[in-house]
Amino acid sequence: MTDLPERFLALPNTLSASPILAIGLTLGAFFAGNWLFRRMGRPLWLPPVVLSAFLLSATIALLSLDYTRYQQGAQWLMLLLGPATVALGIPLYQQMHHVRALWRPILCTLPVAATLAAVYAVVIAWALGATPLVLASLAPKSVTAPIAIGITEQLGGSVPLMMGGLLVTGVVATLFVDLLSRVLSITDDRILGFALGLNGHAVGTARAFEISRTAGAFASLGMGLTGVFTALILPLAFRLW
Amino acid sequence: MSMLRGFLTLVLCFMLGEALRLVFLIPVSGGVLGMILMTITLMLKGSVSDDLATASQGLISVLVLLIMPGVVGVFFSADQFSGQWLAVSVALLVGTFLSVLPTLLLMASLVRAGQRRASDD
Repeated sequence: MTDLPERFLALPNTLSASPILAIGLTLGAFFAGNWLFRRMGRPLWLPPVVLSAFLLSATIALLSLDYTRYQQGAQWLMLLLGPATVALGIPLYQQMHHVRALWRPILCTLPVAATLAAVYAVVIAWALGATPLVLASLAPKSVTAPIAIGITEQLGGSVPLMMGGLLVTGVVATLFVDLLSRVLSITDDRILGFALGLNGHAVGTARAFEISRTAGAFASLGMGLTGVFTALILPLAFRLW
Repeated sequence: MSMLRGFLTLVLCFMLGEALRLVFLIPVSGGVLGMILMTITLMLKGSVSDDLATASQGLISVLVLLIMPGVVGVFFSADQFSGQWLAVSVALLVGTFLSVLPTLLLMASLVRAGQRRASDD
């Protein structure tokens, strides 16, 4: 009878032998993070994904679960990222009529801005002495997560560091677009949306949908086009470098 | 059933992308290749089936869930990047500011130029 408490305390580690614990924890943190985000009045600087990630890390640490073991279980969820990336092609197709209406500004801005988004970060980090691993992880910082994971793997960067950088970029880009559009007195929802999606991927797109549906559509378009453009250009650029 | 039928299309498209990547040694992930194939196919076809729309909406709405295991990793591999944090944070903050500014300026001036051209015609 005396080993009953021991068996109870060992539960987290015995249960984590199966991927179902990792999946359950991730799902729980996902919903808890979304709930907390609504309760906090939808703060601009703290998107639900950051809240969920904090909750999930705290839970893993509290249960003293082995992180690599969690990661192995969570692989089952990450498997769906491939098909989910393909799924992004459907809204991209649905936004295509916007390209037809404004194709000149969009096609001129996209390559310049998407290149700058990657180049500035890499050059600044390189000048401050970052290692090649860090540079490869920062390069896709303005690309939506499922595409960025693929890019980082191709470049040989660290996926966790890239994810951290991605979130910071999303939040910071949202704040900068809000601030700069006021300073430059730009009020066109199409421009704001495109800038939010291009620089701030999914975090910026979520903000754009709060501004208006048009802003949201242009943000999705900016996010999708930046993702495709960067995914095609970065691996080639890194190979030549 | 409808959602699963759409999901099958997505999985097949992803596997086609992966196959292209592995056979032609393309340095782009299979997911992105699949997405491009999907967009081009839909543009040629001119419509999206309900099955595919349902499945893609479902997957996109839980994207955050799918990327969370990767996000959490940054807390557990923090010491691997000790000494790099200054470079990382300056690059992210300054780099993002410097790319948001030209995006807004360029887009605003090009849209304005387009409107002027339209009113001249």
